[in-house]
Amino acid sequence: MALSIADLPKEELFGQGHAGCGGCGAAVAGRQAMKALGSRTIITIPASCMATMGGSNLKTTWQIPFYHTLFEIAPAVSSGIRAALDAQGIEDVNVVSWAGDAGTADIGFQALTGAAERNEHMMHVCYDNEMYMNTGGQTGSQTPKFAITSNMANGKKVKKKNMLAIMEAHEIDYVASASIAYPLDLIAKFKKAAKKPGFSYMHILAPCHRGWQIPAEKTIELARLAVESGLFELYEVDEGKRTRTVEPTFIPVDNYLLPQGRFKDLTQEDIQDIQAGVNRHYGRGE
Amino acid sequence: MVKNLPVVPTAKAGSLVETPTGITWRIQHPEILENCNMCLDCTLFCPDGAIVQQAGELVLSLRLCKGCGICANECKENAIQMIPEYSGVKGVFR
Repeated sequence: MALSIADLPKEELFGQGHAGCGGCGAAVAGRQAMKALGSRTIITIPASCMATMGGSNLKTTWQIPFYHTLFEIAPAVSSGIRAALDAQGIEDVNVVSWAGDAGTADIGFQALTGAAERNEHMMHVCYDNEMYMNTGGQTGSQTPKFAITSNMANGKKVKKKNMLAIMEAHEIDYVASASIAYPLDLIAKFKKAAKKPGFSYMHILAPCHRGWQIPAEKTIELARLAVESGLFELYEVDEGKRTRTVEPTFIPVDNYLLPQGRFKDLTQEDIQDIQAGVNRHYGRGE
Repeated sequence: MVKNLPVVPTAKAGSLVETPTGITWRIQHPEILENCNMCLDCTLFCPDGAIVQQAGELVLSLRLCKGCGICANECKENAIQMIPEYSGVKGVFR
């Protein structure tokens, strides 16, 4: 049954009055996800924009229990929370660790891969803004090739690490990519992941307009163009079965790249290189 | 038996709504026009939860809005218009 926006819960569990920038992609991802997860959720967040946005110390925007962990350990803390809930016999709670691309793919990776190996009953969400935005926009392993960041003024030299394929290789229950420009697709995937008895991994493309150097109002539009150009594929792997959920129109990649300030030094050869990469890598693993 | 979950010990849940961040940052604010067809896309695209559906109509909360303009950019019917703040004699915070 297809979802409709009118049927979604009206309660705002995250986002109202948050401390992030105007037009923040991560906040959009958080709001959309909480529509699916509901109030019976415990969330752990390592150091990231999302942790500071939730409020510090005396005020919070979360309506659910929210635990700000150290950088490396969000999935480990979530594993512990699940163990405590099991010991108390509480079953109807979603345990989520929500990290940025650094807290998932680089700094937080050892805790994540450990939790995935143990197939803990929890969900890990990576909101991917392709940079270390909370500390000023440094290059990380999720930064795409040629992107200019605050510590690589000539652009990154190597390509983006395929985090979804890495998590797929753990043979966990559910792996999915999502984009904030397709909210119903994202919410349907979260609902599916919440029902799984084991580990699920969600990778959300959530543009950061400060880091990508785009106007704030283009945040959602760029997230959509990333999918439409084929640079970010929307699919799910449900217990080993891979399904593409959104069929893109494959617009030329320069429609996505050229509006962004971080790609302002791209040459025609670089664009052809990225376009060839799309044609080569799209649907990999099918 | 359903047990109550522990709440954040240092902060009351949702207490930032009372003192929203960024209310003074806004340089433009949205206005919903009459050709809105209630597709509700903007309620999911707003980062701040400033547009919500209440009792069958869209309610815009200018206390929460930071004026990013995502709603106006994403509206398929062009039913949301961004109005600059401080324009004209009545340019004041709402």
